[in-house]
Amino acid sequence: MLLSLGLHPCAGHAADSTPPAQTCDINRGPCSQKAGTAHITLDIAPKPVTAMKELTFTVTVAGIKEYEELRLKLNMPGMYMGTNEVRLVRSGNGRYTGKGVIPRCHSNKRLWSATVELPGQPSETVFLFNVLY
Amino acid sequence: MLASGFFGGFGHCMGMCGPVVAAYALHPARTSLLPQLLYNLGRITTYSIIGGIMGLTGSFAGVIAPVENFQNIVMAGIGIVMVVMGCAVGGWLPLKLEIGAGCGTVAGRMVAFVTASGSAGAFFPMGLILGFIPCGLSYTAFIAAAGAGVHAASRAEGFLQGMSLLFLFGAGTLPALLLLGSLLRVLGQQTRLKLYRASAIAMIAAGALFFYRAVSP
Repeated sequence: MLLSLGLHPCAGHAADSTPPAQTCDINRGPCSQKAGTAHITLDIAPKPVTAMKELTFTVTVAGIKEYEELRLKLNMPGMYMGTNEVRLVRSGNGRYTGKGVIPRCHSNKRLWSATVELPGQPSETVFLFNVLY
Repeated sequence: MLASGFFGGFGHCMGMCGPVVAAYALHPARTSLLPQLLYNLGRITTYSIIGGIMGLTGSFAGVIAPVENFQNIVMAGIGIVMVVMGCAVGGWLPLKLEIGAGCGTVAGRMVAFVTASGSAGAFFPMGLILGFIPCGLSYTAFIAAAGAGVHAASRAEGFLQGMSLLFLFGAGTLPALLLLGSLLRVLGQQTRLKLYRASAIAMIAAGALFFYRAVSP
């Protein structure tokens, strides 16, 4: 009952659904991952990545065909934060850019994830990063 | 957006708003669903208005800054009220003394508002105010409303789209909060003192947390 009266607004249950560990820090520079034959790089500007401010997300995809646009899903690991999708428009050479906002979570948990889903590819690519509140 | 509110209601709002729901649902004199419905209608109205403004301007970041300041004031006020309410519900503070002593303050008036048993109509304005509680989930919905405004053909269309999106979002959260409120009310009638004490402790802790988060940088 105490849990349902909850003191865990965005605290999450990370152990249940922690995405793969990642050593790259997006606040220092772009982060890259492999997804099948594709090589995906994510960059967020301006840095440090700050909540409640407009951010520019840039995804670069190499090794596969180009798409018209991509979608980037923003969420907190282990906690449902609603559907926050950024539309990334192709700007040439495998680059896709779009603007979005990361909302502040009043639990002060700072770990967020950006998920890139490539149509026709078997899995999603998840980037983890800390956000400044 | 309705689905986002629905799933968020169970996965997020029950945690965030649980103590607030307990504050009005556990009152012994409240046996009707009407106060809960009015409270939620007020909350959804606030969401819809903010969503409309987001859609009108097409900007989340530009609108949220002044709103956030007000939200923090509301959150700090609610935190104080919840601590006092928790003490009253737990029997650690005589209700008459608490209301009487606090009536000169905003917090005291809010407590009196919440604890007044006969006025279901008071719950609509209470919902209007508490709709400003800062919340990551509702921020996400506001971001969607601002996005709709960017792509709208006119400002009026943006306003209507933003308002509609937030209305649907708020409506989606309704089942979870009504269910929680009803469960607490039924359990409260059955277990009375034990549940009141447990929820009182949760309310005090959550109230302190709300206040801390509102005033911390």
